[in-house]
Amino acid sequence: MSTGIGARVKRKEDKRFTTGQGRYTDDVRVDNQAYAVFVRSPHAHAKITGIDKSEAEAMDGVIAVLDGHQLTGDGIGNLICGWAVSSKDGSPMNMGAWSALATDTARYVGDAVAVVIADSRQEARDAAEAVVVDYEELPVVVTSDKALESGAPQIHDNAAGNLCFDWEIGDEAAADKGLAEAAHVTQMRIVNNRLSPNPMEPRSAVAIYDSAEEHYTLYTTSQNPHVARLVLSAFYNVAPEHKLRVIAPDVGGGFGAKIYIYPEEITCLWASMKTGRSVKWTADRSEAFMTDAHGRDHITNARMGFDQNGKITGFKVDTLANLGAYMSLFSSATPTYLYATLLSGQYDIANIYGNVKGVYTNTVPVDAYRGAGRPEASFLVERMMETAAREMGMDPAELRRRNFIGSFPHQTPVIMTYDAGDFAGNLDMAQKAADVAGFPARRAEAAQRGKLRGLGYSCYIEACGIAPSAAVGSLGAGVGLWESAEVRVNPVGTIEILTGSHSHGQGHETTFSQIVAERFGLPIENVSIVHGDTDKVQFGMGTYGSRSGAVGMSAIVKAMDKVEAKVRKIAAHVLEASEDDIVIENGAVKVAGTDKQMLWHEVGLAAYTAHNLPAGMEPGLKETAFYDPVNFTFPAGCYIAEVEVDPETGVTKVVQFTAADDFGTIINPMIVEGQVHGGAAQGIGQAMLEGVVYDQDGQLLTGSYMDYCMPRADDVPFYTIEHNKTVCPGNPLGIKGCGEAGAIGTPPAIINAITDAIGNNDLQMPATPLKVWTALQAAAKPMAAE
Amino acid sequence: MTKVSMKVNGKAVSRDVPDNTLLVDFLREQLRLTGTHVGCDTTQCGACVVHVNGKSIKSCTQLAVSLAGAEVTTIEGIANGADLHPMQVAFNDHHGLQCGFCTPGMIMTGIDMVNRYQAQGRELTEEAIRFELEGNICRCTGYHNIVKAIDAAAQQMSGMAKAAE
Amino acid sequence: MDMTGEFRISAPRDVVWQALNSPDALRACIPGCEALEKTSDNGFSATVMQKIGPVKARFNGEVQLENINAPESYTIRGEGKGGVAGFAKGGADVRLAEDGGDTVLTYTVNAQIGGKLAALGSRLIESTSKKLAAKFFENFQTYITEGGAGRMS
Repeated sequence: MSTGIGARVKRKEDKRFTTGQGRYTDDVRVDNQAYAVFVRSPHAHAKITGIDKSEAEAMDGVIAVLDGHQLTGDGIGNLICGWAVSSKDGSPMNMGAWSALATDTARYVGDAVAVVIADSRQEARDAAEAVVVDYEELPVVVTSDKALESGAPQIHDNAAGNLCFDWEIGDEAAADKGLAEAAHVTQMRIVNNRLSPNPMEPRSAVAIYDSAEEHYTLYTTSQNPHVARLVLSAFYNVAPEHKLRVIAPDVGGGFGAKIYIYPEEITCLWASMKTGRSVKWTADRSEAFMTDAHGRDHITNARMGFDQNGKITGFKVDTLANLGAYMSLFSSATPTYLYATLLSGQYDIANIYGNVKGVYTNTVPVDAYRGAGRPEASFLVERMMETAAREMGMDPAELRRRNFIGSFPHQTPVIMTYDAGDFAGNLDMAQKAADVAGFPARRAEAAQRGKLRGLGYSCYIEACGIAPSAAVGSLGAGVGLWESAEVRVNPVGTIEILTGSHSHGQGHETTFSQIVAERFGLPIENVSIVHGDTDKVQFGMGTYGSRSGAVGMSAIVKAMDKVEAKVRKIAAHVLEASEDDIVIENGAVKVAGTDKQMLWHEVGLAAYTAHNLPAGMEPGLKETAFYDPVNFTFPAGCYIAEVEVDPETGVTKVVQFTAADDFGTIINPMIVEGQVHGGAAQGIGQAMLEGVVYDQDGQLLTGSYMDYCMPRADDVPFYTIEHNKTVCPGNPLGIKGCGEAGAIGTPPAIINAITDAIGNNDLQMPATPLKVWTALQAAAKPMAAE
Repeated sequence: MTKVSMKVNGKAVSRDVPDNTLLVDFLREQLRLTGTHVGCDTTQCGACVVHVNGKSIKSCTQLAVSLAGAEVTTIEGIANGADLHPMQVAFNDHHGLQCGFCTPGMIMTGIDMVNRYQAQGRELTEEAIRFELEGNICRCTGYHNIVKAIDAAAQQMSGMAKAAE
Repeated sequence: MDMTGEFRISAPRDVVWQALNSPDALRACIPGCEALEKTSDNGFSATVMQKIGPVKARFNGEVQLENINAPESYTIRGEGKGGVAGFAKGGADVRLAEDGGDTVLTYTVNAQIGGKLAALGSRLIESTSKKLAAKFFENFQTYITEGGAGRMS
């Protein structure tokens, strides 16, 4: 069976997970281990007027009770946002100070105020109960619109009116003109609901300090251990980079929430030095709800204009983005460059203008969650298109077709240059697979059963493979977004791939092995992948933004190019042939047209024995590459959802779901389909089930799985997945990326289907039975009056 | 402190533990069987499912001291030596896992549901599998391949049950 | 969370009023009360063990009596810290009306919870509060009937 590109290879990593031998951070136990439990603010906004630690310090097993003044006193730096965004007047964003342990003011429920280190978890918990913090409550604001009102509580001194930035993109005058000339204008207010990422493994950290070497080791649940080390070192002053090793072992899901470096990891490292003990902390689920960066939370008002023929003439967007109480690591980029640069969708729109205000509130920080800005853009554009079609009495698919971009490369008015795509082809493929032609009959049949059946489209596009470095640098990114790889061919011919990408469910150990095995004609078992350890892999940017395929695997290809060049030289020298005549196939290095060959491992051995190498050649067979792409990649597709609504109760069931995605080259279709399944479930979750709720005092009301509705097996259908393929010209494998598409493309398809079923376009997420039923009653009223 | 003795994965074990020790902590911290996971604190997510006397339970909501003399099976104890349990094989065959964190609980729940349905002579339909997974949350797979894996394992286990008759 | 209610007590208003101002009576009747001491004319310190949903916590707090209009009405206001579990605070306007030999007590409660208590238990705060109120009055009736001699749970 083939194990190369395009083969459905079963995952190499599964055995340890199915037998209980996965090794996650909380499974790590080290000598001299103590436990940390955090004391957190129960108030959303309060002055800290005193901390009495005496009772806790006297309790059994307690090693230390540490607070923010001690932390800042030791020179530990504030948390930072790594992407600088400027307001439209040119002024820099107003970053509020965020200490890992709050010193004077707590700004959200869950803000860490002190930490207890004790011999056991239970002792640490008991002692945390006994820490008495005196608070002086301050007024609270939790929504972005209220935070901007005059007289709203002020959260940071340096951000007047709670405004972090007032950013714009596009040409406002042109968009206004386009709208003024329009024959029809669709206007909508759209709320993109606040979500909690909820990887099933809660965040965890084990910090180990070696006083003799003044060296730190941190096991942590990270999607990007090297970035963690860089930030912990360069900005938080925990330790110099060469004295800090960060290991992200098996990580149980990320979805964005594990990109950031949180107060807990910083505190554990510092506390391990302070106490001379290894310090472990693991969040419980309610702590995760309270402290993991949330996603989305936009309020948007938008207008889209169309001419007589349904061509878009202008698009104007006004968005308030809730940033929470502090700026998380990439929180400025998510609602700006990752969002508004995709307002053109799949459509040829000449005139676009977007304004985004980033606003502080007394809630947990908001940052990238699967899709990060792109789901918000897709939801907006695709809700506008569907609604406009209905308002104009057009077929929603036809309206999209009239506006599709048809030739590439295409420069949008909002920065992006789309390099390749087949938007009409995706739509055709989805319509066929979903049997759209048969929908009227299915709707009629459902009506006989008393159900309202609806169909909704979503033609999403996203920018993935977050890169290139120079481009993101010019837009304010504090880091380069290339990737590194090292290919180590051992003397016996087996291969280790060291990658800066990090797998937390994506199956890199299998997929990455496939491209290596195919390239050199080796059994896939002879390839292993090393990742997630800063001592082993030199540097890397990690996994997020669907970048492991397009950027991470491209780096591996570049390193394999170098290995191959050296292999050719060695073989040509040993076999006394011309380099140009050397071919590599089926694990052998051959001279074309002859029977002369070396087996792959013989080349490896020749490189390491170095008895007979070309003059001047260094021994060994190990190559490194850093790959920096030329452009983002642009996965795109068409999703079609069908739902049935029970008009008596508003209970809605997704009965059919079809995805036609164009991800470019696919290495392992099984794994790619799995990514779409999972993304689609999260999209259904956002559309119908999930939503973070704070009350007006800033108390988090959705703090457990009893109140935050996660998609369960009976909330979702089987998914039908189709693949279109236009090769991405920007990277050597032609890969676009697939990790986020499901979460981006699904919500608009679902809401478009429900609104189609109930005949009311005014429906916000999550479309719970109550909301659907209420919207249905509102839609029924005018009809009853007729 | 109470001395707790039980049989875990076929082996007799005995430990002195505080009375408030949960079964999951007994397994993870005392026995270092870390395949059983904790994903929530409200008995919702199912990452901690193990079998006690042949029935699945959530080990995060059971005191170890209440299980004196019980037979406990964890994810580490279901393979027959090097031969994996059909449910483990099916999860690999059908790509029923991604990050792997919920997987031990899913597999233990899957085995229990197949056993119960077969014992009762009931058909384990797709709808029934989804219903039975109510207490297990997965954030990665969208459940598609988990349902397929349990269905496939059920066929396999039913074949084995018949062959044994 | 706001809640109102009414309770009929088989005792004259003066007796009820006295009991409502007595640390012994409050300690005996407040569900989960472990300690309650008078700290000033109208102030008490209290320790109450309480369970809301899955969160069980010991609250240490201060209780103040305000707007005293003997023997007709007062406002009882309290705030308790439950450590890691969060906080609970609230107030109740209590009014006593004579009705034959009985006393009709009406109350309007406003309560707030915060931190983990809210994250995990907010769904249950109303039902829990109703239960606690009912339990308090049940204890209170017994206390008065037994002339303050009996200790309640």
